[in-house]
Amino acid sequence: MATTLSVTSLSATSTGALKAWRSVKPIARPQRSPLFASRCVLGKKAARLRVVRSAPSTPGGISEKVSESIKKAEEACEGDETSGECAAAWDEVEELSAAASHARDRAKEYDPLENYCKDNPETNECRTFDN
Amino acid sequence: METIENIESSAPCLNSTLHFCISDTRDKRRRGEQKQNQISSFSLSSSINKPLKMAVCTAYTSPSLHSPYPISNSSKSHHHFILSTSCRSNRRRVRGEISCSSETNTVVIGLAADSGCGKSTFMRRLTSVFGGAAEPPKGGNPDSNTLISDTTTVICLDDYHSLDRTGRKEKGVTALDPRANDFDLMYQQVKALKEGKAVEKPIYNHVSGLLDPPELIKPPKILVIEGLHPMYDARVRDLLDFSIYLDISNEVKFAWKIQRDMAERGHSLESIKASIEARKPDFDAYIDTQKQYADCVIEVLPTQLIPDDNEGKVLRVKLVMKEGVKYFSPVYLFDEGSTISWIPCGRKLTCSYPGINFFYGPDSYFDHEVSVLEMDGQFDRLDELIYVESHLSSLSTKFYGEVTQQMLKHSDFPGSNNGTGLFQTIVGLKIRDLFEQIITEKSATPAEVSKV
Repeated sequence: MATTLSVTSLSATSTGALKAWRSVKPIARPQRSPLFASRCVLGKKAARLRVVRSAPSTPGGISEKVSESIKKAEEACEGDETSGECAAAWDEVEELSAAASHARDRAKEYDPLENYCKDNPETNECRTFDN
Repeated sequence: METIENIESSAPCLNSTLHFCISDTRDKRRRGEQKQNQISSFSLSSSINKPLKMAVCTAYTSPSLHSPYPISNSSKSHHHFILSTSCRSNRRRVRGEISCSSETNTVVIGLAADSGCGKSTFMRRLTSVFGGAAEPPKGGNPDSNTLISDTTTVICLDDYHSLDRTGRKEKGVTALDPRANDFDLMYQQVKALKEGKAVEKPIYNHVSGLLDPPELIKPPKILVIEGLHPMYDARVRDLLDFSIYLDISNEVKFAWKIQRDMAERGHSLESIKASIEARKPDFDAYIDTQKQYADCVIEVLPTQLIPDDNEGKVLRVKLVMKEGVKYFSPVYLFDEGSTISWIPCGRKLTCSYPGINFFYGPDSYFDHEVSVLEMDGQFDRLDELIYVESHLSSLSTKFYGEVTQQMLKHSDFPGSNNGTGLFQTIVGLKIRDLFEQIITEKSATPAEVSKV
């Protein structure tokens, strides 16, 4: 189904998600401008899509690194579960999961205006006054 | 200002030996700035024969020693005051401490906790208590783990890994193992920072798993070292002015890791469980043993208020505070040293299920005398929080409601509605109190010397 396909592709990467989002056309009301149409909640299917889109997705290639490291850890532990290699492999999984979670938090807090103002505090948008 | 008058009245004598240095007014947005820091840009009067109109560097007289705010708030401007007068005839000359080089003797705080246990949240709360947001150093490595704010610098001890990810895999050691960390370098650099020297600290990149080129760290007023082994090495332990250990029980750790990792595609319940189990032997052997050295331990356990609770949303948090630590006075309920069991929900305060339970009492922890303050349950409303705060004593707040205000400021942080957030905020305030006591003690000694 188109909806489920777009749901899975949404959770993949953020750039891919944007394309998938745009490719799903709204069901009704063709007269609205394209910009407005993409923001409208147009029925249950679109509403469900919107909910998934707001869930945090891990930026960059960290997600792939996490999945790969899990596979490698499972392979390393097939032989001996108490070996150092097994522990080191799962430790790597833990490290990458922590990095992924931090990257997600940073992406959630990202504000383009604040970012710009950090480097250019003297511009008109960014000047602050104290009294 | 009293001090200016003193200088003016003694002006005719001040012929030659007034020296003073520059101070910046770069950033006026500081707490207490309007009260204390009258260190403003001044004009050097070239001919010192005429009386000095403006105070040059304000030297604080003794009463202001006990003021709540530290003398030099800004870490950017180096306040070097050398105020010496050759005139001794005027008895009412300026007396007071003149803090030279506020960067010497940095206060060092250590925070130990396993990965995924709330270190970052604690850091954000702590830096917020001191004011200012802590950010990674500008213009440096974007994957740097260091956070810098006006007064605080937070260093992640993962930067002192001696083996990078591939090195550890080859040797079959986890990052928890001391063999993967360079304790000599850690000790040297923390010692240097404590003495006021800048260091080039290596960077461990968590994404690539490699050791990146070093970054320059300047000595701050407060240095926080957070990681897996701040108290493992005895030499580093001796450098710490205060140490905290976050002890999360296994069930709660599992619940938190599930929350964190289930959003990842590759993870499943089994993989999360396997990861915790595989790291447990090293954790118990190397990390958990640091508990006994900590001045303060925050233990997080599952709640006892809900029988057979599986969700792990309601938490029972214990704040274990060592007795007899210099500059640290434990928080208590009603009567210090007694055992109190307190349920605030009743006639004056209505709470929703499961309510809030408090316990306070003396105890023994690894052969040390401790006081334990425990909270089980969660806050649903603001008035519950302020009610609880009004009954706790020795919180080291500067005004009534400061704990509540700090909790509200960060209501989006995890743990803001239960004991984790409350006790982290309280520990943050205690650290601020410790820092101010150290500063006033250090600046009191030169004052005694200058009184002639």
